[in-house]
Amino acid sequence: MRKFFGTSVVAISAAAMLALAGCGSGRDGDSGSGGEAAKGFPANSLIGVALPAKTSENWVLAGDLFSNGLKEAGFQGDVQYAGASTTVADQQAQITAMVTKGAKVIVIGATDAAQLSTQVAAAHTAGVKVIAYDRLITNTPDLDYYVAFDNFKVGQLQGQALLDGMKAKKPNGPYNIELFSGSPDDNNAGVFFNGAMDVLKPEIDKGNVVVASGQKDVKQTAIQGWKAEGAQARMDQLLTSTYGNKELDGVLSPNDTLARAILTSVKGAGKPTPVVTGQDSEVESVKSIVKGEQYMTINKDTRNLVKETINMVKALQAGDKPQVNDTKSYNNGSKVVDTYLLPPVAVTKANAAEAYANDPKLAPLTK
Amino acid sequence: MSRLKDLQKNLFGGTTSNARQFGMIFTLVAIVVLFQILTDGLTLRSDNLIALFQQNSYILILAIGMLMVIVAGHIDLSVGSVAAFAGILVAKSMTEWDLPWPAAIVFGLAIGAVIGAWQGFWVAYIGVPAFIVTLAGMLLFRGGNQFIGNASTVPVPEGFREIGSGFLPEFGPNTGYNNATLLLGLAAALAVVWREIQARKTRRAMDADPAPMWISILRMAIMVGVIAFAALRFASGRVGTSFPISGIILLVLVIAYSFYTRNTAGGRHIYAVGGNSRAAELSGVKLKRVNFFVMMNMSVLAALAGMIFVARSAASGPQDGNGWELDAIAAVFIGGAAVAGGIGTISGSIVGGLVMAVLNNGLQLMGVGTDRVQIIKGLVLLLAVAIDVYNKSQGRFSIIGSLMRPFRREDSASPPDAEREPAKAAVSG
Amino acid sequence: MSDVPILLEMRSITKEFPGVKALSDVNLVVRAGEIHAICGENGAGKSTLMKVLSGVYPHGTYDGKIIYQGSESKFSDIRASENAGIVIIHQELALIPGMSIAENIFLGNEPRKRGAIDWKAANRMALDLMARVGLEEDPDTLIKDIGVGKQQLVEIAKAFAKDVKLLILDEPTAALNEADSKHLLDLLRGFRSRGITSIMISHKLNEIEAIADQITILRDGRTVETLDVKADGVDEDRIVRGMVGRELSSRFPDHTPKIGEVFFEVRDWNVRHPISAERQVCKNESFVVRRGEIVGFAGLMGAGRTELAMSVFGRSYGVYESGTIIKDGKEIVLKSVADAIDNGLAYVSEDRKAIGLNLLDDIKTSTVAAKLSKISHHGVLNEVEEYQAAEAYRKELRTKAPTVDESVSKLSGGNQQKVVLAKWMFTDPDLLILDEPTRGIDVGAKYEIYGIIQRLADQGKGVIVISSELPELIGLCDRIYTVFEGAITGEIARADATPETLMKQMTSTKKMATR
Repeated sequence: MRKFFGTSVVAISAAAMLALAGCGSGRDGDSGSGGEAAKGFPANSLIGVALPAKTSENWVLAGDLFSNGLKEAGFQGDVQYAGASTTVADQQAQITAMVTKGAKVIVIGATDAAQLSTQVAAAHTAGVKVIAYDRLITNTPDLDYYVAFDNFKVGQLQGQALLDGMKAKKPNGPYNIELFSGSPDDNNAGVFFNGAMDVLKPEIDKGNVVVASGQKDVKQTAIQGWKAEGAQARMDQLLTSTYGNKELDGVLSPNDTLARAILTSVKGAGKPTPVVTGQDSEVESVKSIVKGEQYMTINKDTRNLVKETINMVKALQAGDKPQVNDTKSYNNGSKVVDTYLLPPVAVTKANAAEAYANDPKLAPLTK
Repeated sequence: MSRLKDLQKNLFGGTTSNARQFGMIFTLVAIVVLFQILTDGLTLRSDNLIALFQQNSYILILAIGMLMVIVAGHIDLSVGSVAAFAGILVAKSMTEWDLPWPAAIVFGLAIGAVIGAWQGFWVAYIGVPAFIVTLAGMLLFRGGNQFIGNASTVPVPEGFREIGSGFLPEFGPNTGYNNATLLLGLAAALAVVWREIQARKTRRAMDADPAPMWISILRMAIMVGVIAFAALRFASGRVGTSFPISGIILLVLVIAYSFYTRNTAGGRHIYAVGGNSRAAELSGVKLKRVNFFVMMNMSVLAALAGMIFVARSAASGPQDGNGWELDAIAAVFIGGAAVAGGIGTISGSIVGGLVMAVLNNGLQLMGVGTDRVQIIKGLVLLLAVAIDVYNKSQGRFSIIGSLMRPFRREDSASPPDAEREPAKAAVSG
Repeated sequence: MSDVPILLEMRSITKEFPGVKALSDVNLVVRAGEIHAICGENGAGKSTLMKVLSGVYPHGTYDGKIIYQGSESKFSDIRASENAGIVIIHQELALIPGMSIAENIFLGNEPRKRGAIDWKAANRMALDLMARVGLEEDPDTLIKDIGVGKQQLVEIAKAFAKDVKLLILDEPTAALNEADSKHLLDLLRGFRSRGITSIMISHKLNEIEAIADQITILRDGRTVETLDVKADGVDEDRIVRGMVGRELSSRFPDHTPKIGEVFFEVRDWNVRHPISAERQVCKNESFVVRRGEIVGFAGLMGAGRTELAMSVFGRSYGVYESGTIIKDGKEIVLKSVADAIDNGLAYVSEDRKAIGLNLLDDIKTSTVAAKLSKISHHGVLNEVEEYQAAEAYRKELRTKAPTVDESVSKLSGGNQQKVVLAKWMFTDPDLLILDEPTRGIDVGAKYEIYGIIQRLADQGKGVIVISSELPELIGLCDRIYTVFEGAITGEIARADATPETLMKQMTSTKKMATR
């Protein structure tokens, strides 16, 4: 009995192993990947798009644009958002699933730009091209392209608009200004600020522009978490400490939310409206610009960003090298990523109607 | 008794708890097969199986600890925050204090132990309900994570990443497979055979008839077949990939904790405390010690899970650990644990976790959005528990229990007292 | 009194549970405006009878007739009986501690005005009701802030809110101190003078003698007799005789005790209540146990027997204050249950299901639960040894179960008790404390359990039996201590033990040693 038992066991296990091994392994040596300039791929291939959770209108709009745009271009689009709470893990799993499904290109709007290197590497070894959308994926040598608006340029436009606006109101300086920057934990905040200072610094050095409070460092000007109440409180405090008997000519504000908070503070103190910059083309700020309160904002049209990304995908499909316009500025910690930068557009009262002509939501406001 | 009856009674064990586990495994197999068809074979492809294990190992590790917490009659809501807190400290310890990565892992486990001792102290010695203690812990350690990490992302070095994204090494002759994985599969197959032989010995020692020989062989054949299939799948992934290291860690933990909960006095004390804490106390069980242990153990495992996630993500981030507690708790309840404590198994929880994982993965492969995936997962959790509760209220033990009913011995004991107490609500698939 | 109209008549009520006949042909006649006491030992069927009357056991689940206010009543649930004016006040008060007096009085019965609760009216009505029961408190006072005595009054006020005609009180004074008890009894007299009928279940025979007009005595689910207190000149002894008068001889296995010397002694044992520290639950209690001896502890419910046993058993009840335990001539300190088990003590608890067993377990897990070290090596359990141990006890105690893999929740009360006994026998104790070992167990199983207890004693172990059934103690024990209000009031040798002598000492503080 015992003996029979033992023999059967060995026999069965051996048979099972052999039977399965006999099927042969489908192990692909070094997967057809990594290699240079793939010769394109079929036009109806799967294209994955992994976006963060649906927390802002912008991402929802981008998702819709990708779905429609990829379809029009003849691709099979697979657009996924991360879940509301388990964002990073969801995005990781979604990217892996896209690779498994055989996507040829994966576009990633990263939830956390530093936590995707394993998935990007897996995609790379499987021969999938990875495009970082809007947010640069860091710490990976396997990222292929990056598409975004030029954030340094955003800062430059803000700086220039500030100077132009003040000059229009008062032909000769010196001008008194104050500086605001975004949240210290947001990489982009520093980029915006540096861009603006690129324009403002020479004028400050010349004495033509004066930061009356003396707070010129990015740390002093930062508003934690991009919070409106933080900007309002800081402006209140600046007005009482510095502008008791001085004229405030202009304020550099990194975005629209902070710009409106700054304006609220100035109004509350009963001071004349200074020139205030902004960014994002938020509805309230566009209204404010049309009314003549906020001076300018920046238009970063998601439509253009998505269009450019799809153009890249099309180029990859045809086996061409996608068009890039910056091959040295964007180092993600492991390599310099080929980047296509879209130019942001500065919008003031003067060009608002023209700038928002294609935007169904903002166009009516400018009429 | 006919052969068919023999089979039904013995193949998956005759007792109800085994029947419940059989139900869970059956559900898992059904879901796998369903998605294998729906995704045109993607589900069981090597790369997907490997990814499935890597993506879920940390949740399954949490489920092990959570099972013990829930069996003891508690709950731990803080595991995600604890994981994130340990994760950021470990990442910082390597990048900023230049701790070598093996030391950093030990450091991470120590953090888990300290946090666990803190929570265990309040639960066991002060008597604050675990729900409250860990709700506080959830806020405390999430805040701690943000305080230390400043909402930034901290990358970790290559060596450390192995525990989350590494694989068994390649060595030996070119067999067309990963040899290490094949050896692992062989070892597992031998272990199954050895266990079956031991089980037969035990049955004989208990003067009970072991199941008929052909059933033992059939059972082993099925198990060995599954193992061989899995081993070959994992071994035939792209070169450089094989059975993931995080899967090995999980496997070791599952075996160790299954043994602990089933076969040791300490493990049995956890069930005793959860089943009837007063009776356990009057039987000499040191209630406080048991409660302290389960809470502390949970936090250590949470720290480990956090480190594995960080290693897999190559960086610690502010979003780490969000919502993990719910995944772990869901796995445990789908796996048949009772809300009131005292019932549940490690293997059941792992199967429960795998059901959720396969569901998640399969739906993602089909391109279903996370919004709908969450809706489906929520319904599955509710249904799994509701079906069991309903069946219990109908006087049946569970679906599977009722399926198996005709084959169980009829109860010959006289009816219980006039006043029946309501049975504890237990859940299973 | 027979000219007074009959309010309630219960005619040949029979109520069966699976395997047990709880009531058999019971008759009860209550006349309008009297106080009618129901007496009987624990398990005599008093509570069951009241549950039949109040509709807890609805019409159709029992045999017999209830004639109330001249017509037959068929109550389908408690609500139906309450609507008819029958209100039961249970021993465990059904009040919500966090709510006010007024809220409790009108719970489920709130006066409404246009859908919303009319608190003004509620408070006014509450004050009126409270005046009727002599309760002087602000109706907004929370229940948890007033004493048990006043809580009892709130319960009665709540009954009046429902327009009560027949008030049933189950052990109303069990939890009350003397002053509160007196107030309550006065109140009942007041109700009687206002024509309200009361039924009172009580163990306190002196109170019954003082207040009742009629007494119906139940024993073993049957009506023994109904006594008219004044006409029959009833006193306590007469009631006791009615309650316990039955043959004892055949209910116990023959046994010749082999008693050795004293090996276990508790001296000057003082313990305080775990929550209200001013209450002393064990007052300077001392007792001894000899090898091979079965020692009984007699007392009323709440006398403090369980508290004494549990506090000795590793301080598992109350707050230890002072006292020593001496075993085999040496003082031992038992700070935890584990200590107690290690020192050879075993405690079989009163409430099997609540604290004696884990009902999720099977027989074998339960059997070894209190001494896992015996079947484990370095903490690892040996399944085979576990099975063998459990199987050995199953055979020895003749536990009726197909295998030791059977869940204990499926066993009958007697077999569950055998599993609990096996669990404690497995720990190899020198002293077994059995708290109500035969409660809820039918006669046949009781006989078997008595046999087990006697065998354990014959093995040289000491056995303590706590029981509320006096015949059980008299039939089983070699010596009996009586306990009253947390103090040992007497020690009676088997030869001198009669239900009457025991009952006397169980109900008085006087120490009368008849050794």
